[in-house]
Amino acid sequence: MSGYIASSVERPSKPAAWWGMVILISSEATLFGAFIGTYFYLRFRAPTWPPDGIPEPRVVVPLILVGVLLLSSIPMQLASNAARAGRLAATRLFVVAALVLQAGYFAYEVHDFSDQLKTFDISRDAYSSIYYVLLGADHAHVALGILFNLWLLAKLVRGLTTYRVHATQAIAWYWHAVNLLTLVVILTLLSAAIG
Amino acid sequence: MAIATPPTPAAEARVERLEVMWQSRPGVLGWLMTTDHKRIGLLYFWTTLVLFGAGGIEAMLMRTQLIKPNNDLVSPETYDQLFTLHGLTMIFFFIIPMTTGAFGNYLIPLMIGARDMAFPRMNALSYWIFLASAIFLYTSLALGMAPNAGWFDYVPLANKTFTPGHNIDFYALAVIFNSIASTLTAGQFIVTILKSRAPGMSFNRMPLFCFAFLAASFGLLFALPPLSADNIFLFLDRNVGTHFFDPSHGGAALLWQHLFWIFGHPEVYILIVPAFGIATSIIPAFTQRKLVAFPLVAIAELLVVFIGFGVWAHHMFATGMSTTALIFFAGATSMVVIPSTIQVFAWCMSFVLGVARFKTPLLFIAGFIFMFVTGGLTGIMFVAIPFDQQVTDTYFIIAHFHYIIFGAAVFPIFGGMYYWFPKVTGKLYFERPGQISFWLIFAGTNLLFFPMHLVGLLGMPRRVYTYPGNLGWTTYNVIETIGGYLTLVGILVLFGNLVWSYLRAPAAGPDPWHGPTLEWVTSSPPPEYDFAVIPKVSSAYPNWDVEDREEDRRKLASGVLLLDQGHEQVEVTPVDGWLSRTVEMPHESPWPVLLALCLSLVFVMLLLQHFAIAGLMGILSLLTLLGWHSKEPQEA
Repeated sequence: MSGYIASSVERPSKPAAWWGMVILISSEATLFGAFIGTYFYLRFRAPTWPPDGIPEPRVVVPLILVGVLLLSSIPMQLASNAARAGRLAATRLFVVAALVLQAGYFAYEVHDFSDQLKTFDISRDAYSSIYYVLLGADHAHVALGILFNLWLLAKLVRGLTTYRVHATQAIAWYWHAVNLLTLVVILTLLSAAIG
Repeated sequence: MAIATPPTPAAEARVERLEVMWQSRPGVLGWLMTTDHKRIGLLYFWTTLVLFGAGGIEAMLMRTQLIKPNNDLVSPETYDQLFTLHGLTMIFFFIIPMTTGAFGNYLIPLMIGARDMAFPRMNALSYWIFLASAIFLYTSLALGMAPNAGWFDYVPLANKTFTPGHNIDFYALAVIFNSIASTLTAGQFIVTILKSRAPGMSFNRMPLFCFAFLAASFGLLFALPPLSADNIFLFLDRNVGTHFFDPSHGGAALLWQHLFWIFGHPEVYILIVPAFGIATSIIPAFTQRKLVAFPLVAIAELLVVFIGFGVWAHHMFATGMSTTALIFFAGATSMVVIPSTIQVFAWCMSFVLGVARFKTPLLFIAGFIFMFVTGGLTGIMFVAIPFDQQVTDTYFIIAHFHYIIFGAAVFPIFGGMYYWFPKVTGKLYFERPGQISFWLIFAGTNLLFFPMHLVGLLGMPRRVYTYPGNLGWTTYNVIETIGGYLTLVGILVLFGNLVWSYLRAPAAGPDPWHGPTLEWVTSSPPPEYDFAVIPKVSSAYPNWDVEDREEDRRKLASGVLLLDQGHEQVEVTPVDGWLSRTVEMPHESPWPVLLALCLSLVFVMLLLQHFAIAGLMGILSLLTLLGWHSKEPQEA
């Protein structure tokens, strides 16, 4: 970058990597929009929801769990800020803290998912179909985020570079989006318990 | 900027340094690992051309079958596969990849003064995924299991009960697979157009071509996920036993149509808006004046796609929706007229106010305007709901959307091929055969598609493999088939001319048309680094700004904005185009092609219902991604 124009002023702006993550999030959010639209489309045509024979979804435990997952946004943002400030140890620590919350959430949810599959099968009816697809797609996004964080930690073992700072920023944004998506998905599914 | 003869020895040394830094590997390996947007554009071009041939053969087989009543050239089962594949191929595997993949990839970085896309490796990935999805789809034909429920694939016909073979599984997976490639391309264009423009190119100085591709990319980004969701449901219904589309278990057959057309209507604009972009590039070059109403046209291009998201149910007027819904969608649909008409008037006024030179590219654009207006007029007729319900699923619909899709999307593609042929090959094309090819195609398509209106009004339904002789349809069908062959001849003349021109025509030089945009600044064909100096931009017609081009030459001599310290590109602020930073770009990489290969295995295993192995291949894909990211750009 030396030998490069000295005459022109450089103005700060978000890196292309950040824009790339925004595009990914938009695309995934639209996919979830289609899933959630399907959920309500099917719901408003059904005489009873959930259909007879399927228990209403539990409300309290999922909401507490979502709360735990939402909390993980805080260490993720702190990690992103620490990385930008060049504080390596703090970055690692915050990513680990986030990872603990996320992994705890994920472990419980996977356990719960397989439990529910024992009470009613995906191929039972339209309700069970959209219920499991929506929930499963959300879990897949959480799992992907956990893989992102593991990869990030492995990268951070050998210090910070501009590339890793941008990666931390982008992954923090991914998590904010997935946490919000999870909240919306869980609220959608819990709506079956109301009315 | 005459790169062939740099002005000073210092400049010459700088250009040499760039040549070395941006050089690609020779041979096949160089093409497999390439991240050069021009090479990827050419790969897209050749691949989509082959697929255009396949879709064309399918069309000609259908037209030949319909030349006389009770013909038995092809069986009804084959005919089903022909019209399904024809639709799928022309939409997903010809027009989208030809406009975005080939034209967009090759031209956008050149038009915005960049050296490459914002994410060059992702660009390569999108091509390899596209190629794999095309091979995946056509494997079904080789196995005699091609999709056969129409390109919009309605359930219940498409569910397991009525189509038990693998035909529809091929459809669902090929469409999802192809969508991944298109999503990557769309995201790529958005970020490239926002971030990689030459400093000084603020939004209001961006070529209309780029506005059109920005609009189409936003369309793709938000339209494809509903399509993918739809096909995921279909695949699960068929293979896992879910009940999304099964009314006996609380599902809804109409759900398929809603999700499909939420994609399907924006899709129409995704097909034609890039063609608008091509038209708005050709018109200023051949009228030698700035396009009339530049800001209105830019807004109209974006608005067409935006409105396109609110009109999907006009494809479903005959499905028994509530009257309120019908009226809402009819109203929304008629709004599309406004941005479309703004553009048509702007194009026509540019013809009138400039000095039109009717060379082949401009002829194709004039033909395009005629076809677009004709197709638009029949389009407005569908807003009248009772009329729509009368002609639904007849040849009248076929006539309408072929005027739009062939007339308004493919004509500009042909015009664009002629227009940019000198840029890509460095050769001029022969004018006389070019004009002959236009008139053959123009006459052919009108003979082919116009009688379809009439035979549609007489009641001939679409998708029938034959018809009885006593209904008065025969003459029309004969004319249509003759028109089809005439079009074929025209297309052969077109490509024959291009091949012959490549071999025999004189050299074109950097700027044979005195074109307005930046691609005409650099040499033909452009060097691997596109521009020796990131060009100065102070208007929307930078190649006509003579002082700026002088300035470029001075900058080359003094080494300003040269970026010769590495494989570098500039990033700007997204709206105002202020210089923000220089970034190191990734160079050739083996990972995109490997990742595409792993993903193909995922889709093959899903088709064969080996879900566990598909999962393993998914993990393999993730490992490939790990390899992809093992080396940071600074270390490369």
